[in-house]
Amino acid sequence: MTGWLQSVHPQTLRVTALALVLALVILFFGSQIDNYYTARMFNRISTSVAIILLIAIGQALVVITRNIDLSVGSIVGFTAYLVGDLLVAQPDLHPLVVVAAAMALGTALGAVNGLLVAYGRVPAIIVTLGTLALYRTLLVEYSDARSITTANLPKWVVELPQATLFSIGNLDIRVTFAIALGVALVVHLALTRLRAARRLYAVGSNPDAAAIAGINAERVVFTAFLLSGALAGLAGFVFLARFGNITVVAGLGFELKSVAAVVVGGVNIFGGSGTVIGVVLGTTLVDVIDNSLTRWALVSEFWRDALLGMLILIAVAADTLMNRYLDRLRRRRHMSELSAGTAPLPRETG
Amino acid sequence: MPEPVLAPPVLTLAGVAKSFALTAALADVSLELMPGEIHALVGENGAGKSTLIKIMTGVHQPDEGTIRLAGTAVTITDTQAAQRLGIAAIYQEPMVFPDLDVAENIFISHRDQGLLMDWRRLHEAASSQIARLGVTLDVRRAASGLTLAEQQTVEIARAISLDVKVLIMDEPTASLSAHEVARLMAIARTLKDQGVAVLYITHRLEEVFELADRVTVLRDGRHISTRPITEVTPDALVRDMVGRAVDHFVPKAAAGPHGELVLRVRGLAREGVFTGVGFDLHAGEVLCFSGLVGSRRTDIGLALFGIQPATTGTIELDGRAVLIESPEAAMRHGIAYVSEDRRKLGLAMALPITANISLASLRRLLGKLGLIDRRAELAMAEKHKERLNIRTHSVALEVGKLSGGNQQKVMLAKWLETEPRLLIFDEPTRGIDVGAKTEVHAIINDLAAQGVAIIVISSDLPEVMALADRVLVMREGRQMGIFAIEDATPEGIMSLATGERPADAA
Ligand SMILES: Nc1ncnc2c1ncn2[C@@H]1O[C@H](COP(=O)(O)OP(=O)(O)OP(=O)(O)O)[C@@H](O)[C@H]1O
Ligand SMILES: [Mg+2]
Repeated sequence: MTGWLQSVHPQTLRVTALALVLALVILFFGSQIDNYYTARMFNRISTSVAIILLIAIGQALVVITRNIDLSVGSIVGFTAYLVGDLLVAQPDLHPLVVVAAAMALGTALGAVNGLLVAYGRVPAIIVTLGTLALYRTLLVEYSDARSITTANLPKWVVELPQATLFSIGNLDIRVTFAIALGVALVVHLALTRLRAARRLYAVGSNPDAAAIAGINAERVVFTAFLLSGALAGLAGFVFLARFGNITVVAGLGFELKSVAAVVVGGVNIFGGSGTVIGVVLGTTLVDVIDNSLTRWALVSEFWRDALLGMLILIAVAADTLMNRYLDRLRRRRHMSELSAGTAPLPRETG
Repeated sequence: MPEPVLAPPVLTLAGVAKSFALTAALADVSLELMPGEIHALVGENGAGKSTLIKIMTGVHQPDEGTIRLAGTAVTITDTQAAQRLGIAAIYQEPMVFPDLDVAENIFISHRDQGLLMDWRRLHEAASSQIARLGVTLDVRRAASGLTLAEQQTVEIARAISLDVKVLIMDEPTASLSAHEVARLMAIARTLKDQGVAVLYITHRLEEVFELADRVTVLRDGRHISTRPITEVTPDALVRDMVGRAVDHFVPKAAAGPHGELVLRVRGLAREGVFTGVGFDLHAGEVLCFSGLVGSRRTDIGLALFGIQPATTGTIELDGRAVLIESPEAAMRHGIAYVSEDRRKLGLAMALPITANISLASLRRLLGKLGLIDRRAELAMAEKHKERLNIRTHSVALEVGKLSGGNQQKVMLAKWLETEPRLLIFDEPTRGIDVGAKTEVHAIINDLAAQGVAIIVISSDLPEVMALADRVLVMREGRQMGIFAIEDATPEGIMSLATGERPADAA
């Protein structure tokens, strides 16, 4: 009965299991919430996924190198506010320039993390916990209690979240969602095909061996933080477009969400393994649950975070159990190969 | 040597010195490597061999001295620089990436492979590198499940696949069996013919005499001698290494009558790993497990000690069937296991020598109030330092800072202290020098004489012949046969292990 399972790659199986859980969750909420299967709900979730996905992909790159980036939420808030401010001052800037500015700002903030972790050799959890607070405080200082409002933003920014690339039936594929999926595709291709990107896995898998193999581990880790910053910056811009009204608390809590998405998506928190497909599914699952709970009258705001935490624990436990089970299956298969062999039976002499 | 060496040396070290805090690891060492020579480097544990090669590969910077590559002075800042200069090394402790597959592990250091991964070509190339070593290993497997010997094969494949001028091998054969060693030697000779300078570190003197053109001896961080192999004898070499003449062969104590049955194993198997293992073991008897890399000898040890429990079969201790599902259970039954993998299963690298030795026998050290008696712990460590000649200025040193062979001695000491009735040694003398090896063999013989039942898993055939009362040969997860040592020859064991000969002809 389990025969077919043996021929499937463990990563494929993990992704399939995740997709299955996602389907079950959607079915469950569909039965609990009125008007759940609507285009509105899809749009709502897909625009929200667009933001988290960008952050989670960056987070995954960092986690694969055996580090963590807790400052992503602050980077999102920081860029959202500053880019908003820039647009208020200069509404005629070309959209590409605006996006580039957001990513450059994120990259700069990521570079601070990267420098301290990779070259300063301070543990990532300490560095990014520090910059999480630091970037937020800088934002509070800079904003001087003002906030960005939709009214002051150029029209193209405000309309961006509604901009639709194409529609399938009455489901709209929004531009922001498409951008996030595009980034996911590019990173996926890079992680599986680009030789340089494989070094992320090597460094995360065994840093000592990486150094001996002639891999510049500092540069690899630094690059991961740069990319995480850049993607958080891009997410900051999308955040600005989606909400329009930006205060100093923008992006608060995204670090927890992105770590949850990454871990649920099967990226090993101790580094060395993880796939983008997993991250996409993990993000979607986390976000579907989060958004659906908001609509589910039975659950209070307070419980949403608790459920998110529980989901992380379940994901990690399920992953461990599944790996153990697969390992047993693989051994069983190897065994049947062994006994099909021609080796004679052991005998005892002497 | 028949032909005179005319070419200038590829690599020259002159007056190299290196100290770590209180330890002077190297003092005024000079060494010349010629193109197309195999140069053996020997010396006792802690003599400074690994430190010397780490200086050549940029892991350590010398405090003093110069390095010249083909005549020009160079500074080797890190391993990347060494690689660019054409210097590669296989290190004493295998360094693999557990999450990457075998193929990627082999080619991770290659720079000239283009921007994109070509997985098919990668797997094909890796398969052929592994095949060159005479090992069967699925290159798509993640490296996390590899045994130590398999990891070593991966390291060797990685190094020989690089295009290098100088290849350094730090005890590459420590956990390989004769079959793979022969392949490795053939490869070393091919590289030599291609003009590569091979620096070969080993504690197995027979390898030195079979392979090397010249041999250099280090002792206590100093250069003692460099001579063509034709001008040295094994005894002279050992005298250089230890500073005195040493009798490095322990005669096997005549097999006396053994005690009662201690261990009875029948039909032992672990799904997908090994199957059909059955043997008896008496008090005072030494049973050796022999076989090639990947023949699953180690896995039987892991099963008997409960680290990876068997899935079928019976284990009887003193005539009572027992279930061994964890190391705790095994230890309760008086079983001790000296692992081959000291990094993963053997030692706490960041703890001092004292704490590592006392770790498995803390109960006996409890003094008043249930606290550990530090003085007794210290005495315990000093005793073993003396007996096994553990090279260190203090037993308070972190184990991770000892040389490889000295770490092995600490691990042996730890398990000897548990006073077990069944002791399983997995490669007990891996990386241990000649003098200490004799001592370890004497200890094993002593323990047997005291009535301890002993299993020794060993790749070193001379060691098997020296220690065993009986030999159990494994091949590809199957037990091929058991011989009394009187009926066994190294050739007989090897041909059974490689499958060149069926068991019934044994
Ligand atoms: N990182 C370190 N810190 C402190 N001492 C060290 C360190 N590395 C090596 N040493 C010391 O330097 C000396 C030489 O060690 P080295 O590893 O070079 O010996 P070796 O000849 O390779 O021995 P073996 O045959 O056991 O591998 C030893 O006394 C060791 O304890
Ligand atoms: Mg060494």
